[in-house]
Amino acid sequence: MSPCWLAVCATRPPDALAAADFGVEARDGGVLAAWSADDEPVPGAVKIDPRCIDPEGEGAWVSLVLAPRGTWLLFDDIAVSHAIRSALAAPPVDVVSTLVTGDDRFVGALTAVHGDDRTRLRHDPFGALFPPRLLRISAGLLGRTPTPVGPMTQRYGAANPWPWDRFPEPAP
Amino acid sequence: MLDHQPRPDRNADLAPGRHVPDLRLPDHVGNERNLSELAGGDPVLLHFYRGWWCPKEQAYFRKLVHLQDEAEVAYTRFISVSVDSVEEAAAYRAGLGARWTFLSDHERRWVHELGLLETTDTTHDPYAPTVLVLTPDLRIHAAFNGYWFWGRPTNEELRQAFRTITRSIRPDWEVPAG
Repeated sequence: MSPCWLAVCATRPPDALAAADFGVEARDGGVLAAWSADDEPVPGAVKIDPRCIDPEGEGAWVSLVLAPRGTWLLFDDIAVSHAIRSALAAPPVDVVSTLVTGDDRFVGALTAVHGDDRTRLRHDPFGALFPPRLLRISAGLLGRTPTPVGPMTQRYGAANPWPWDRFPEPAP
Repeated sequence: MLDHQPRPDRNADLAPGRHVPDLRLPDHVGNERNLSELAGGDPVLLHFYRGWWCPKEQAYFRKLVHLQDEAEVAYTRFISVSVDSVEEAAAYRAGLGARWTFLSDHERRWVHELGLLETTDTTHDPYAPTVLVLTPDLRIHAAFNGYWFWGRPTNEELRQAFRTITRSIRPDWEVPAG
């Protein structure tokens, strides 16, 4: 299965698997877009748990933590591990995924709730690592991810984002 | 008197080598979850406990909370099941500092079918404390009757069980050749 990618774009990319506009409370409006592709579809795209993406998904409040271009932490950094522990212990959200590049780089996280209650995003543990942005996105991008099982904080394969929670099936 | 004590080892369906039914119950958030989905491809600690009110459970959970610091890096899942409501399970989980999934069988969907009703407690009708260690396909590797506290597995016994399962299911247990 190809990885799933997410990027902040100025306009809606025609080849995106799913996309949603945002504007409210962001400094600048734009589009959050997702692709299923073997390689980075646009410069700056980051890998996300594919279970987050649903072209039929409803609108949502999103806490988007994204490192400035060229900035990253090792995924094994203790600060990242601690943020994941906090996410497992925190009140539930509807969508959560770390954002990664390469095999070992943590570059942020996406946490989202459907509905109007953005106060559920008040304590995003990943916001302690890089600056969070609170976005109101339209329908067409985010579904719902199962609540992470826990207590696992590790990734299932170096290149995959947490909480994707299983190793790939072995080839027949 | 002893004849009235529930003992999981009397339930042939929960003996090592047998498979646990694919339980479907609400988790501590209220989402319906299947045991097979929660297991994913990992070994599982399936832990049936009486309820938040039991001091023995509180003592045992403190041991599991300690073990989760190892399990979180070991591709291993914990799942705790009780007759507590979703809200009680969520509050208990948060208070313990547990970072795994709690399932609520408040409606007693499975306690009878599994043969795990603790008949000596007619106030709560809870699960008889039971710990099962499962392979990813929900086969029972080890079963522990925790009616008496000392019947429950120590963390060292759980480590040994997880080591055995992991060795058997991970084809790269031996370091892959370069």
